[in-house]
Amino acid sequence: MTEIYLRLVDRILTPILLLIAIFLFLRGHDLPGGGFIAGLVAAAAIELTILALGSTATRDRYGPWLAPLLGIGLTVAVTAALIGMAGGGFFLGRWIQFEVAGETLKLGTPQLFDLGVMLVVVGMAVTYLLRLSEAAEAATPSAERQEPRP
Amino acid sequence: MTPHPTVLILPVALPLLLGAISLLFQSMGPDRRVALQRTLAGLGLFANLAVAGFLLFWVLQSGPQAFQLGLWPAPFGITVYLDTLTALMLVMVGLLSLLIYPFALATIDPERAQLGFFPMMLFLLMGANGAFITGDLFNLYVFYEVLLMASFVLLTLGGTPSQINGGIRYVVLNLMGSMMLLLGAGITYGTLGTLNMAHIAVRMVEAPYTVQALIAGLLLVAFGAKAAAFPAFFWLPSSYHTPHPVVTALFSGVLTKVGVYSLFRVFPLFFPTLLATWQPLLLTVAGLTMVVGVLGAFAQPTIRRLLSFHIISQIGYMLMGLGVALSPSAYGVGFGLALAILFLIHNQLVKTALLLGGGAVELEMGTGKLSELGGLVHSRPLQATLFLVAAFALAGFPPTSGFIGKLGLLEVTFAAGQWPIAAVSVFVSLLTTMSMIRLWQSIFWGKPRLAPPPEVRAPGRTLWTTTPSAILVAISLAIGVAAQPMLALVQTAASQAIDRAGYVRTVNPALTEQERSLPLGIQSQPSERAGG
Repeated sequence: MTEIYLRLVDRILTPILLLIAIFLFLRGHDLPGGGFIAGLVAAAAIELTILALGSTATRDRYGPWLAPLLGIGLTVAVTAALIGMAGGGFFLGRWIQFEVAGETLKLGTPQLFDLGVMLVVVGMAVTYLLRLSEAAEAATPSAERQEPRP
Repeated sequence: MTPHPTVLILPVALPLLLGAISLLFQSMGPDRRVALQRTLAGLGLFANLAVAGFLLFWVLQSGPQAFQLGLWPAPFGITVYLDTLTALMLVMVGLLSLLIYPFALATIDPERAQLGFFPMMLFLLMGANGAFITGDLFNLYVFYEVLLMASFVLLTLGGTPSQINGGIRYVVLNLMGSMMLLLGAGITYGTLGTLNMAHIAVRMVEAPYTVQALIAGLLLVAFGAKAAAFPAFFWLPSSYHTPHPVVTALFSGVLTKVGVYSLFRVFPLFFPTLLATWQPLLLTVAGLTMVVGVLGAFAQPTIRRLLSFHIISQIGYMLMGLGVALSPSAYGVGFGLALAILFLIHNQLVKTALLLGGGAVELEMGTGKLSELGGLVHSRPLQATLFLVAAFALAGFPPTSGFIGKLGLLEVTFAAGQWPIAAVSVFVSLLTTMSMIRLWQSIFWGKPRLAPPPEVRAPGRTLWTTTPSAILVAISLAIGVAAQPMLALVQTAASQAIDRAGYVRTVNPALTEQERSLPLGIQSQPSERAGG
């Protein structure tokens, strides 16, 4: 397969990047961040996996989730808007608060909407990146490509 | 009866929700997925038309309605605005897409269906509905982008080289139009400090002429490009003949008409004085659009290429109506706009009927080349009759809706003293008649030159493909025969569209009162706005 350092970077960095994506997503409620940028960071993390393991292995891992992810994300986002309808307005913000270990947590429809955005962005970007690397791998002559070790 | 104003968002929310749900099942087997998407699309189109019909009924009962998303008051929240013009367009687009649906069921190939034809139809509907109903200039731009995305996918679905070629021209030229619209919206925000259309209507009249002219020019170029008006119509003839015929029929009823609708909405609302001072410009553009479109049609070798040039030519008549929108006439101010709206509706009906008829011929015979077709009147008398009636309706013969529209437009232009454009429009009607008769002759008259491929002669399919155009032609005839109720309807629509004070009052009455304490952005804090 590919270089060992790439696989090492993937092993270490991908989980960290995914955590950063979640952090950015949660931070986006009141501060810069949010679903769109979090989705891009998560897609960048998965791109590391594509570089390290190749597109075939990555598609085996994430493939079945990619296409429905667009639908799931859009449905989640619309649901967030529809929840507001129950309170008298499409896209009306609604929040619930609860205490976890002495901290007050706020969850609401804006976050739900953001989650939908994030899922759509991840689905779109990863599909796109996978297609790109598949096209690139198909264009590379097989002699130059490093075949996976058994 | 007063429904909750949240229902105003349903024309956008409903197709979006159903489209999103139909994307959920991508991992399913292709056959079951397509069956599901087909069901959801049919459900969505039907429900959408029901909602649109209800909204039209509601707006006729109790006047224009507005709703603020998230219940934020008007200049801050996003406004959704419904008046008779909006409701009429919602009904028309809902009706056309519902009538095109059985045609699509009968003719779309499994490959295109698997690639997501039916969800994309819903997203296209969502974009069009959103562009009709929004009361916010930036959101108008966003919905144009939704339309552009959905239509680009529909255009290139199938991926033949000619489709990719046409699709690239389509997307590049349309992106330029979108850029103009975005630029216009940006300059509006930079100078007037607002994007809410009611708020812009209040502030625009106080702005200096240069600002008004700049924004009006940008919006005219942007919407003109979207409507395929004279200088920027190239994208239409180079792309409309490439996709599946059902896609062309859908586009002709929806895409260019959204551009025309936006002109009808924005110009009387933002620039009532410019409509008078720019009348020569608007009428010149209208005349050139008519002439170039119809002359281009004479040189075309296939059904759909020819019909797409006629789309452009007919857009000229709507622009002519916009040019005389506020001219005084025997029937009061705004009669020009009323007839332009009537002509828009007539054109949506007739053009879609023609493209469906032509598309059915193309699909059944395997070719759309005029030199290879002929003599189909023997095997398809019903289709030939429908096509002939629709062709005469397009040319403006009585007793069709086209006659009413053209006669009225001529009357208003004469009353306004604009006889050159009236003469041009009559001349173009003559050329349209010639071109349409030639088209009908080469498809249906003469000796059959080509035996139809046997595998597509299933009788069930002909029923599915002919009924939609039959219904459309019947509606066109009904409008032509019983013109009075329809005229009353479009006059209501026009009088509401030019009622600027009514628009502002419906959206938020406080907008006018705030103006006394809130000076214009251009006069107060230029540096702060430049920074933002």
